[in-house]
Amino acid sequence: MHPPLTPRMLLLRTSLAATLLAAVLLVCSLVGPQEISLKAALQGVQVAGLPNPDYEILVQVRIPRVLLAAMVGAALAASGVIFQALLRNPLADPYILGVSSGAGLGAMLAVIGGLGWTLWGRSPIAVFAFLGALGTVWLVWALGRITGKHQVTGLLLAGVVVNAFFSAMIMFLISIAKSQHLYATIFWLMGNMTEEDWFVLWVGGGGILAGIVALFFLGPQLNIISVGRQDARSVGVRVERVELAAFAISAFITAVAVSLSGLIGFVGLIVPHAVRLVFGPDHRQLVPLSSLVGAIFLVVADTVARMVVAPAQLPVGVVTAMIGGPFFLFLLVTHSKKVYWAT
Amino acid sequence: MTPAIEVRQVSFEYGPHRPVLTGLDLGVRPGTFLAVAGPNGAGKSTLIHLMAGVLRPQSGAVFLEGRDLRSYGVRDLARKVALVRQEFVPAFGFSVYETVLMARTPCYGQWGFESREDRETVARALERTDTARFASRPLGSLSAGERQRVFVARALAQDTPILLLDEPTSFLDLRHQVAIYDLLKSIQQETASTIVAVTHEINLASQYCDEALLLYPCRREGPPSAHPVSPSDYRIGSTREVFAPEEIRRAFGVGIFSGVLGSERFVLPLGERAKDANLLRPPDVV
Repeated sequence: MHPPLTPRMLLLRTSLAATLLAAVLLVCSLVGPQEISLKAALQGVQVAGLPNPDYEILVQVRIPRVLLAAMVGAALAASGVIFQALLRNPLADPYILGVSSGAGLGAMLAVIGGLGWTLWGRSPIAVFAFLGALGTVWLVWALGRITGKHQVTGLLLAGVVVNAFFSAMIMFLISIAKSQHLYATIFWLMGNMTEEDWFVLWVGGGGILAGIVALFFLGPQLNIISVGRQDARSVGVRVERVELAAFAISAFITAVAVSLSGLIGFVGLIVPHAVRLVFGPDHRQLVPLSSLVGAIFLVVADTVARMVVAPAQLPVGVVTAMIGGPFFLFLLVTHSKKVYWAT
Repeated sequence: MTPAIEVRQVSFEYGPHRPVLTGLDLGVRPGTFLAVAGPNGAGKSTLIHLMAGVLRPQSGAVFLEGRDLRSYGVRDLARKVALVRQEFVPAFGFSVYETVLMARTPCYGQWGFESREDRETVARALERTDTARFASRPLGSLSAGERQRVFVARALAQDTPILLLDEPTSFLDLRHQVAIYDLLKSIQQETASTIVAVTHEINLASQYCDEALLLYPCRREGPPSAHPVSPSDYRIGSTREVFAPEEIRRAFGVGIFSGVLGSERFVLPLGERAKDANLLRPPDVV
């Protein structure tokens, strides 16, 4: 069994995970089909008057890529934790309320609307995906409120149905789309980690980090809400306020992640469970640790995805499921007795 | 003396023409252990949820220690009333200790951690309910009796003068039923808490509770518009008066055998077969 969480334990584990993440970021930014050396890269933009290729690859390609993977992994894992707690459903993931299909439809419309035009000098796909994701979650939330203020079943069903409807629309659009649009869409739907715009990284990363920090402070309230809303209310938690904040923040960071990287499955479902199995169910710990583990996991998975069939790349979702699946089953078999149905 | 709980002209309905409680008026003195009994659907759980502020009455008001419940904030209310409910969600493998500690959530410091005082309160609650032995086990691994004691412990950790329980002994065997009532009685005596428990265990409630409230079934025959809603029918008083055999028969609509053992009176429901068998002498049967 897990001993009760203390601030010291939390600090220790979080700093260990953060250190590990830093190490993974460094190593993975140096690994790739094109070999580069850190020493050479550190010599700066120019060496002897000529552009330094090692520096360019590191700063313009590799670092943005690992940072993006880390941000997306952290966002998906953190919002996976939140959705599982709020819906009191271990099968919930960040996409359960329609973020994925909403973003997909938004991206699809941007592609079909014409790749030629730009928004503030950038491709409109990410912006459309972001708006589609948030709009869909809002729609599902509103439908859930109508069907039953205090029941999660209505919310879940609304999410499933809206997801199915939008997925059908995506399929419909794919089947009538022109072939050049088709490639761009499917590439986006499978998820990819190519983002070379530092401005976008700063904005997205800042948003995600702020969201995760805010979610951390909801940890104690989430603990008791995950056991029951009524119980939470009767010990003195302002349930509606906490729920609304947690839903809004996690929908937001998921939408940011999805609009930057496309759809990456599995991280948001598996990482929270893995962390829970190993370290216990306390949300004060689950939020920061899952974020860090999710970041590490996705950075590693993305590195594998660009290495195995180099110079081509695998969709990162293939790797997350192929590495993450067996590893998670291993954890489930070895730890679940102690956590979920211990005797 | 100001009643710990006062229910004034409270009416509650779950929808148009589905009245549960109508014009209910009652007071619970501080330090009383009150049993709430009555047939299914009479509004026992509804009443206790109204007292806890979980449900709001359509008309009338509930007062806690002389103050209108509506004027309490969520946290203020949680310092006055703790509620032990029937439902249990085996979510995410929290341990017994973590479950009880959750009662302290609103008291945590700015970094979301409990203080030494919170831990001491929890330790006392675990000790008193005899749950400290399995404090580190996951809640889902406990038997129903042990789990119920944990929920009582969580309510105690909330450190409130009023304790409300919704059928604390359902699903429990005889030994554990007695254990829960022993526990509640000792809590009442040690801390002078006001305790209200919804129960179907009339005999146990007679032994342990000071007062009883018996809610008679609401009459809902015919179209609701045909006759005005009559006020809720109920009796409140000492357990001895309220749980008299005639009252029980009237409330539950079932034959009753009653007997006396020392100073305690007991009632047993009688099925049709028992009456036919003619085993009981007439004075015993109500």
